[in-house]
Amino acid sequence: MKRRGRGIACMWYPIGFTVAANPSAAVVKINEDGTATLLTGTVETGQGSLTILAQIVAEELGVATEDVHVVSADTDTTPMDTGAIASRTTYVTGNAARLAAEKAKEILFEVAAPVLGVKADQLEVSDHKIQVKGFPQRNIHIGDIAERARGVNGQPPIGSASFNPATVALDPETGQGKPFATYVYATQIAEVDVDDETGEVEVLRIAASHDCGTPINPMLVEGQVEGGISMGVGFALEEEMLFDGEGRLRNPNLTNYIMPTSLDMPKVEVDIVDSYDPTGPFGAKGVGEPTCVATAAAICNAIHDAVGVRITSLPATAEKVWAALQAKRAQEPRQLAAGA
Amino acid sequence: MDKKSAVIEKQARLQEVEALLKAPAAAPLAPLPREVLVPEARQQTPAVRQRATRPDGRLHGLGQTKYIDDYYLPGMLYAKIKRAGIASARILRIDTSEALKMPGVMAVITGKDVPCNSFGPSLKDQPVLADERVFHAGDGVAAVAAVTEQIAAEALEKITVEYEPIRPVLDPLESLQLETPGLHAPNPNIYGHKVIRKGDVEKGFAQSYRIFEGSYRTQMVEHVPLEPHASVATWDANGRVTIYSTLGRITLGRADISRTIGVPMSRVRVIATVVGGNFGGKNEITTEPVLALLAKKTGRPVKCTFTRPEEFLASTTRHPLVMDYKTGVTKEGKILARQIRLVLDGGAYCSWSETTLGKACILSAGPYQIDNLYAEAFVVYTNKTMTGAMRGFGAPQVCFAYESQMDDMAKALGIDPLQIRLTNALREGSLSPTSQKLHSVVVRETLLQAAQRFGWNEDGGGNGAQS
Amino acid sequence: MVTVTVNVNGEPRTASVPPETTLLRLLREQFNLTGAKLGCDVGDCGACTVMVDGKSVNSCLMLAGQADGRDVLTIEGLATLERLHPLQEAFEQLGSLQCGFCGPGILMSAKALLDENPDPSEQDIRDALAGNLCRCTGYIKMIEAIQGVARADGARPAPKSA
Repeated sequence: MKRRGRGIACMWYPIGFTVAANPSAAVVKINEDGTATLLTGTVETGQGSLTILAQIVAEELGVATEDVHVVSADTDTTPMDTGAIASRTTYVTGNAARLAAEKAKEILFEVAAPVLGVKADQLEVSDHKIQVKGFPQRNIHIGDIAERARGVNGQPPIGSASFNPATVALDPETGQGKPFATYVYATQIAEVDVDDETGEVEVLRIAASHDCGTPINPMLVEGQVEGGISMGVGFALEEEMLFDGEGRLRNPNLTNYIMPTSLDMPKVEVDIVDSYDPTGPFGAKGVGEPTCVATAAAICNAIHDAVGVRITSLPATAEKVWAALQAKRAQEPRQLAAGA
Repeated sequence: MDKKSAVIEKQARLQEVEALLKAPAAAPLAPLPREVLVPEARQQTPAVRQRATRPDGRLHGLGQTKYIDDYYLPGMLYAKIKRAGIASARILRIDTSEALKMPGVMAVITGKDVPCNSFGPSLKDQPVLADERVFHAGDGVAAVAAVTEQIAAEALEKITVEYEPIRPVLDPLESLQLETPGLHAPNPNIYGHKVIRKGDVEKGFAQSYRIFEGSYRTQMVEHVPLEPHASVATWDANGRVTIYSTLGRITLGRADISRTIGVPMSRVRVIATVVGGNFGGKNEITTEPVLALLAKKTGRPVKCTFTRPEEFLASTTRHPLVMDYKTGVTKEGKILARQIRLVLDGGAYCSWSETTLGKACILSAGPYQIDNLYAEAFVVYTNKTMTGAMRGFGAPQVCFAYESQMDDMAKALGIDPLQIRLTNALREGSLSPTSQKLHSVVVRETLLQAAQRFGWNEDGGGNGAQS
Repeated sequence: MVTVTVNVNGEPRTASVPPETTLLRLLREQFNLTGAKLGCDVGDCGACTVMVDGKSVNSCLMLAGQADGRDVLTIEGLATLERLHPLQEAFEQLGSLQCGFCGPGILMSAKALLDENPDPSEQDIRDALAGNLCRCTGYIKMIEAIQGVARADGARPAPKSA
């Protein structure tokens, strides 16, 4: 018989390396037509980080994402970056990219100020224009100023910057200190069906509420959450590298190492919680790794809710759940007798 | 005219051209749609918070994204690595002479040919190619470069290695008990240790209404990026090597390549272009130094793409953890004290174990305000595939433990699982286990939002109801 | 060596290859069509999926010789010079692909499904993608994209099967 259960799990997760410096540098070049190029040493490994970085630079320059081209991942041409690790790209590389864009923008403001008859600190950017704060009708197209910066002032608008999260080393005796600049938080709630005759678990749906600070791109955040949950489902129920007594791997292939397919994915309802981190670029933190953290715990709590067995070692395969059910029944002789 | 003869006729006309295309052609044959429509969201200002589509998304969908394995350089050779196949042994002799005699085999190297045969992000305990000692079955012991992948694979069979087996240690708890010298003598088996101490746990336990204890274990997991690790190395006449690689961290990669092959960093160029999935598994070098050395020896570009089994055997994996939790609570479910011991199975080499150890230890308390905490973590060597960075650095493992125990406590105390979490959740300004004052804290908000979305309070609970 | 002639994306292509050559290697190494990917080489991951005579197949499991004289459609043949295929458009708009490595295979499986069943249920779509592994996305935005295309094409009659 299939039994329904629900389980909740929440988690916290840091952005960046543990105390150790993990800087990012970035270069932003504003072209003569007001579009821009970002140089970054980070690597696009599928998360969409280059799109996020383009959005951050675009926001800082008041242009559109499409106007920013990103050049990445070449040690000869792009500046140092610690890389696509530790959920750090949006926060650390993003801060570096924003700062580099700000520096390039400062050059544009210097060029634009006398043209608009104001001081540089009275200027702001919006919708491809450099405009006077409070008087948006006094404006010039960013491309005109970029061209003037090169052709008249002889000052190409290029900015470079680096960023490293602020940390405090941990005391070796007590571990006290500030290992990370910031953290994100999340809750996932799973609903499962457990077949109490076979031990088979089906994850029906997961409600996931995640904090990433400001979502620079909500669609990509959802993609991370959905992908993280699929990895969490595999961790919870299916995946395990098995070694024989001699230390040889028994399942080094995708035939016998089972990972989630389209048939194993539950319905996922993603919410991005309202949050803003003043230390992140436009309030953003990050989202990559934390999406897969709470899933297995939520599923195992749902299994417990459904059939009353506590799985204490992952993965919760059908065999393991079935064995736990058998053990539980063995300890309930009276109920078993009553049922028989 | 039937389909086949039509094909053959047209084919005859193309035969001459095709003959010239024996090597893969340089230009992609895919169409480039003339209609270029840039999605609306990419053109909008402000840019932040827009659901902008990814510029690489179109190329992915057209099959035009070039991953490393899609590269072909003129004259390129293919490399294969011979894997030890034994988890723990001393290497007595490696004989590569028969492989070298094979037609099409251009070079064979072993660990003796690697100028500096060790690397690693913290401890440099991992050989590029094992030359004296095998620590896990996936260790590479020799590498072949040949004109085709098939010949390279056949050449591996001709390489003979004589081993003196050493009993492997596979269980992390056994490794924890072993006296020095350990697996990596003279280094001890426990190669990382971390403590977080806050308040007074004994006092907290003494004040507790109830104390709960639980033990939890997690398994070894592979990243399974759909794109296997791949690299191409090619030298120019100025003595510079360019390496196209699936690395997610090119700066560290360049440092490791430069150090292991003994060439200044200015003469090493690493290009990562696009990586087909990482999840932490592509954060350090694998075959890059081997390919650089083979390419230097042969004067030709050399490529190596991992087979799927190599992904499991010879790349990093997620740390299995053994976790002991002891937690004291009030009648209302408020946590007064928590004591944790974590043992991380580090596998054969350190890799990113120090980072995983630190994060697991700091995060092990959960997103809760706990005034009295003692968390201690160890990482030990075993003779299994090395564990390293993987999405979450120990967090999914400890979350499984602390959230399982949280539910057990809620049930025993008759408290709703949502409520016990709300009672203990970190708040704005809370002090973390390391006494860091936290900002932008939204644990409670995520709990309430997820509960609302799920219908936690309305649905009355699964609670084993027949479905 | 065997000489193989295949009608690839509407163009006849020919090559002489060792008899053990798979269709995947024929496409990638002889015809420079690198869209289909080698992810496992044993038919587990689906990254090499192409269509042969209208049916989706793992091209790593088919010998080049078995494809002789047949119609092969690869990801490179899905778009025309004029426009993206609706599936490619929908995948782009919804951010259905992340690292993209599984994408060509997934799209070919999706096309094979819609050719056969223009109005698939969500379960039909899940079934059709079951042989294509993806590690990044959790499949959700792919399923949504395929559903969207199916709905948009709902009014159109089903294409005749070959």
